[in-house]
Amino acid sequence: MTESVDEPPAAPRLLDAVALPCGAEVDPLLEQVADGRAEDLNAHQRGCVHCQAAIAEFAALWGPVAETAASQVPAPPGLTAAVMSQIRVLVRDVWYTLQTTELGTIRIAARIVAALARDSARMVPGVRVALGRSTHSRLAALAEKASFGHSYPQAAVGVLGRTAVVDLAVAVTYGDSAHAVAREIQQHVIGTLRDMVGLQTVVVNVKVDDILPGEGDH
Amino acid sequence: MEPESQVGDAYLVARARDGYLDAYEMLVQRHSANAYRVALRLCGNHHDAQDLAQEALVAAWQNLPRFRGDASFATWLYRIVTRRALNKISRGPVADQADLLADFTDSVAGPAEQTERNLAVDAVTDALAALPFPQRTVVVLHHFEGLSYAEVAEVTGSSVPAVRSNLFRARRTLGKKLGEWR
Repeated sequence: MTESVDEPPAAPRLLDAVALPCGAEVDPLLEQVADGRAEDLNAHQRGCVHCQAAIAEFAALWGPVAETAASQVPAPPGLTAAVMSQIRVLVRDVWYTLQTTELGTIRIAARIVAALARDSARMVPGVRVALGRSTHSRLAALAEKASFGHSYPQAAVGVLGRTAVVDLAVAVTYGDSAHAVAREIQQHVIGTLRDMVGLQTVVVNVKVDDILPGEGDH
Repeated sequence: MEPESQVGDAYLVARARDGYLDAYEMLVQRHSANAYRVALRLCGNHHDAQDLAQEALVAAWQNLPRFRGDASFATWLYRIVTRRALNKISRGPVADQADLLADFTDSVAGPAEQTERNLAVDAVTDALAALPFPQRTVVVLHHFEGLSYAEVAEVTGSSVPAVRSNLFRARRTLGKKLGEWR
């Protein structure tokens, strides 16, 4: 037998009630719709016009919320850059001296060297992810120590001299020789920093700390 | 698939704690949209949301040594954004309300559909803004961000029954507001 309903239930009136005439509570029905389970009717709901009408009414009511929730809201352009710029201000920069002559001193920020090293390492076959470290307490301590007895009076605290020390953390492809890849990274990075920046003495510490499946293994 | 997408947040968090700034930059790239979106939906205007997201992401970096890792980085960031949104809202009324879709426009929808859609979004925005902050927060985290009750409880520092109770009340209020709008 089918139950009859005189008129469709209006949502606001439904929400003033605790339960429907059939005894079903209103809140769980609204929760069911809001959680995207309007189609998942239980045994009672499949035979109850009160529940079905209420669910239909709530579905129409909740539609704009669901639509708004499903919409894409991208991050504003420049947010990542703004965050990283603020963080870099908080991190004291370490500098490498490239050249000191009577014309002045040429220096490069260690973070730039680390970024170049990272990008260079990423080009080595077998490297999946590479991260470069520029400023770290150990590096900063080295910098201060190195600058303390620096032969050039222009060298300020925080200048590491002409020996670049770069730490790289890399993930390599499963199956490749981690040792061979690491050696290749060292040679490639040293060559890049010599050619692109003019750093003649470069120490590249490579830490292989993850192994990822090969490109075709997904 | 980009290789970077294959490394998990936990790996990047560990490297960021070791001083690898580019690891943190990857985390920011992954999560900045989430931080901004939640901030926008909690405080209702783009300017405050952008400031809030930026502050939260910098604060997360500063607090990485204290991040225990028992929650995911995403959940932890939600917590920072939510607390900062509450602080900002507590300090005074927010600036002009904006819709929750930011600058989103649907290129497929026609002008009439787009107008109707904008009206609906405005109605949702107004209804959400009228909710008390705890109720707004649980609606945003559960219905907009898709977090489970337990995750919402973790972010808000409350219990699952408290989340459930706030959601029940919030849904009723939202439902009534949207019913009046229709």
